[in-house]
Amino acid sequence: MMEASDLYSLRERFADQRILLCFNGPISRSLIEEIGNALKNYLHAEQAQPSSATDVFATYIEMSQNIRHYSANNGYGELEASATVVIARDEADRYIVSAGNLVEIADGQALIARVAALALLDKAQLKAAYKEQLRKPREAAASTGAGLGLLDIARRSSAPLAASLTELTGQRAFLSLRATI
Amino acid sequence: MTTDNLSIPGTQSAPDIEADWSTGQLVMKGDSYPENTFELFGPVISWVDRFLTSGDQPLTLVLQLIYLNTSSIKAMMDIFDMLEAAHAGGRTVSVTWYYDSRNERVAELAEEFKEDCTFPFAILPRTD
Repeated sequence: MMEASDLYSLRERFADQRILLCFNGPISRSLIEEIGNALKNYLHAEQAQPSSATDVFATYIEMSQNIRHYSANNGYGELEASATVVIARDEADRYIVSAGNLVEIADGQALIARVAALALLDKAQLKAAYKEQLRKPREAAASTGAGLGLLDIARRSSAPLAASLTELTGQRAFLSLRATI
Repeated sequence: MTTDNLSIPGTQSAPDIEADWSTGQLVMKGDSYPENTFELFGPVISWVDRFLTSGDQPLTLVLQLIYLNTSSIKAMMDIFDMLEAAHAGGRTVSVTWYYDSRNERVAELAEEFKEDCTFPFAILPRTD
């Protein structure tokens, strides 16, 4: 158990990394909505442009709902279905939305490859890929996993998405995905 | 006379939905990002299907949708595809999408849907 005094260093770390909002733990449908609501209020209070507030909110929703769907599709229990979500700002005052979750190593590697491929596309190519994905039958789209959501996030980002994988014991790894709005 | 109307009150993550058979108007307002879009859009899609397969009354879609998650976008695309098919079959259908002029993302979203539609599709700013 963490000593109360340890919270100070945690707080310092949050301040240092300009973290506005973060969450770590089992994530439910209602929790996604509640955190989303807090995020909306925060962006409103910060007087973010309505378009960038939408982009930040949308990125947060797609990332966290992707995690929920992934965990459900893989039959993960409550603890394995945990998510780590962080919303921060960078040196250039851009919003950074990051989310991490436990995945099967092969799925994590596939996502890393997909993020690398998306980084090569410009806005027009991303739009074409998005429209193509949108027209795919649901079954085919579902099997690829995180297809449309990832493209949506990439289109809302001002820099290529970044992803990393930390291999854990067994077949599992922790996947981190970061979008710069 | 049919009284096949829909009235689904909105929530934080689901829009207000009102469908009136007698006027042929379907109105959707608000954000749409439910986790289960089938639950929300299933009844709307069936209503549109019933309406378009009976009679020849015009169908008018009035939208004030703001943010849609990608699965809501997929569901809306299904609705627009039904309208497109009905339009190709000679039915009068139209969409009017109102957006807050301060948020251009909504207009961009509406424009992308419009690209794939040949029926009347108006995208109008609101300043209130």
